[in-house]
Amino acid sequence: MAVTLEARRLGYGYPGRAVGRNLDLALAPGEVLCVLGPNGGGKTTLFRTLLGLLPAQEGEVLLLGSPLEALPRAEIARRMGYVPQGSGAPFAFTVHENVLMGRTAHIGLFAAPGAADREAADRAIEALGIGALSARVLTELSGGERQLAMIARALAQGARALVLDEPTASLDFGNQVRVLRQIRRLAAEGYAVVFSTHDPGQAFLAASRVLLLAQGGALRQGPPADVVTADNLRAVYGVEVRIAAVDGARACLPVL
Amino acid sequence: MTRAALAALALVSVPALAQREMLDSAGRYVVVPAKVERVYAAGPPASVLVFAIDPDKLLGWTRAFHPSEKPFLEPRYADLPELGRLTGRGNTANAEALLKAHPDLIVDVGATAPVFASLADRVQQQTGLPYLLLDGRFEAIPDTLRALGHAMGDEASAERLARYCEQAIAEVKARVARVPPDRRPRAYYARGPQGLVTALGGSINAQVMEFLGAKNVAGATQGGLANVSLEQVLGWDPEVIFTNDPNFYREVWQDARWQAISAVRAKRVFLAPHLPFGWFDYPPGANRIIGLYWAGKILYPDLFPEDLRAKTAEFYRLFYHREPAAAQLDALLGEPGVMPK
Amino acid sequence: MKRGALPAYLLALGALALLTLLAFGVGRYPLPPADLLALAANKLFGASYAIPPTAETVVLQVRGPRILAALLVGAALAGSGTAYQGMFRNPLVSPDILGVSAGAALGAVLGIFTSQSALVIQLAAFAGGLAAVGLVYFVGSRVRRYDPILSLILAGIVLGTLLGAFIALIKYLADPYNQLPAITYWLLGSLAAISPGDLALAAPFALAGLVPLFLLRWRINLLSLADDEARSLGVSLGRLRLAVVCAATLMTAAAVAISGIIGWVGLLIPHAARMLVGPEFSRLLPVAMALGAAFLLAVDTLCRTIAPIEVPPGVLTALIGTPFFLWIFVGARRAWQ
Repeated sequence: MAVTLEARRLGYGYPGRAVGRNLDLALAPGEVLCVLGPNGGGKTTLFRTLLGLLPAQEGEVLLLGSPLEALPRAEIARRMGYVPQGSGAPFAFTVHENVLMGRTAHIGLFAAPGAADREAADRAIEALGIGALSARVLTELSGGERQLAMIARALAQGARALVLDEPTASLDFGNQVRVLRQIRRLAAEGYAVVFSTHDPGQAFLAASRVLLLAQGGALRQGPPADVVTADNLRAVYGVEVRIAAVDGARACLPVL
Repeated sequence: MTRAALAALALVSVPALAQREMLDSAGRYVVVPAKVERVYAAGPPASVLVFAIDPDKLLGWTRAFHPSEKPFLEPRYADLPELGRLTGRGNTANAEALLKAHPDLIVDVGATAPVFASLADRVQQQTGLPYLLLDGRFEAIPDTLRALGHAMGDEASAERLARYCEQAIAEVKARVARVPPDRRPRAYYARGPQGLVTALGGSINAQVMEFLGAKNVAGATQGGLANVSLEQVLGWDPEVIFTNDPNFYREVWQDARWQAISAVRAKRVFLAPHLPFGWFDYPPGANRIIGLYWAGKILYPDLFPEDLRAKTAEFYRLFYHREPAAAQLDALLGEPGVMPK
Repeated sequence: MKRGALPAYLLALGALALLTLLAFGVGRYPLPPADLLALAANKLFGASYAIPPTAETVVLQVRGPRILAALLVGAALAGSGTAYQGMFRNPLVSPDILGVSAGAALGAVLGIFTSQSALVIQLAAFAGGLAAVGLVYFVGSRVRRYDPILSLILAGIVLGTLLGAFIALIKYLADPYNQLPAITYWLLGSLAAISPGDLALAAPFALAGLVPLFLLRWRINLLSLADDEARSLGVSLGRLRLAVVCAATLMTAAAVAISGIIGWVGLLIPHAARMLVGPEFSRLLPVAMALGAAFLLAVDTLCRTIAPIEVPPGVLTALIGTPFFLWIFVGARRAWQ
């Protein structure tokens, strides 16, 4: 099984300031990696480095076998999609127009989207189940619907790897569930997904692997059951939790 | 003492008095010292008059002369310091610099509306120097010259100049009166590089033109300067065009759009002479008297037969204290566009 | 065609055609409609009706170029305003934000101060506008500390203020009887002096600016996304922004060089157009340009007909533009960004 997204001895940070060192990651199609950690722990820096938006300080990132540095930006876009956090005022584009922007890497510099691009956008919209919203304006949608539209955009890119930055932040409970459901479905279809969250419980719900980040770099990496433990969470967040098993599924319950 | 008696005293002008009180054109009573040796002219029209009456008493000019203008004045006068202006648009003089020059008298010639009167009061109060504000309108020039001469103590010189102006104005007026209405041409004053800024009816800029009886095509509207469109000028179709911009004069012949105008077709576009002071528009002072003869010659050649060179020489000798050499007259009157071909 | 676009296109083009015809028919020079029709017949169909020669000059050399210039300047200002509002993600941005108007003004004012010919003044304005933006872009791109967009805006504000100070200084030093009125009139903006030569000068540059904007019209949508988002979609942000700045600057500098500074068109029209058809740039640009052309043509036609002397267009664009804008704002079916 070929690895979709890989990091080898990755050191990431900003010029003059290292945030994380010596990280090894390998994500195969169908795997979901959940990145946990407090604010300031380096989640965003890691994501930007994985996306190629920030140069790696040490080591390298490989996307579908090729090092990121060797790939032109458009090629990276065709292989890996970024779903940003749902904050910020969107412009009044329609869902369809927004998803169509995902086709940028497939469209020539001076060209406009063609029939093939529009079809790809339609397919991505259908895949996320938001076909009814296709002509609606982004500013009129709920946070969850907007988030699904953003995921559709990443799919329209043709990407096989998806990086989602706190996809459930500022969503109501129902929408949070919808988004997590989509993540699992996409994994089942063979996408490699990375997402970050502040809720350790989501790791149990949707992830096949967990990366726990704290100040200075990765604390633990492994299956959810191994990483999301009371000891680890106490060390990283400074709070007490209880890991419970309910009908074969695990839940993380804070002790108040 | 009543004000009337004071006014009478001013008219009597007994030199033995230590100080004299004068009534200026804005209705202000100004105490003027008995002996005035140093005069600061607050604006260009005043500079011209003070210089004409007694050049040695002028402290400086409001702006330095351009090299082409200097040869028309004696070097010691042309090189007088630049002191800036106190009134008009844009004040560049400094009250302290003014005091440093320690004039005996400040003179301004021009508009006498209350706003300028209050400015004069303010300067007078600030510096403690007497400030005379005199009427700059065409018809008032002779009286202004006399009042200024009286203040400066140069009555004889001022009287000579005033008589010259009175005679010139009367002479021109009489000649113009003989021109029947249908012989008075439609004239347009083109300012600026594109010739589309003009002087409206009754404005100080169009005074020479209108005094000569020309029908200012823009005269239907009263006012100062205004921006107009070429379409409008085409509609007015002037017979004569005066301009102050050498660039406009040069380019108008190449511009296909202006060819439709009668004045351009008849080659009756004229550039106003301007050395050392303008003849037609700026500065709005006594320097325009000679401009009356120049423009008159253009508008009614048969009524203004005098030799312009001789007239210019006479005027310059009288007002600018230097008779221009033949080469200078060539430069002045020979500039393209000044004289009719 | 996308929803909502067709009626807006028709509205804009219809208004444009109607206004152009109307504009040819009115003016300070008395031109009977019969003469106008006769001239059209002569030129278009090779007929040979007799018309007074001055009438031909008025229509072909004076009124015609002025109408075309109004269309050109209106479209250029609206187009570049639209591009900048998208690029800076801010509907309060006008084409002047990077200093093109201040630079052009300084160039023109220097030209007037040194008594240059009309052509040199225009070239100086054009060069000044380009130079100002070049300098702003250079300074903005050297500052690494801030978000690149913010750096550009700050550099633009700083340079604009500096250039404004120089302009004020020159106004102060200028001859108040000859040069200052000319300077004032230039700064107020006017289409009164447009000649066919002016059009020949401005049109190629304006078109040169329009071409990249047109070619990149779909890509420019991506400039409204956050930097990281746009890059992750495969966009070379730096180069795209540079292209937009160059194109918009060329268009604006060409327009300002022949018309002086006419405000509000670049700010209000893109906004109004966005309220009609939404922010999608390939749809928005043509509508904004058509609307801008129509608006300035209407304003300029009023400027040259309502009073015996020319009214500065900047005054009317504000007076007319604001209620017109409010009308669209209130009447639009949905609130676009």
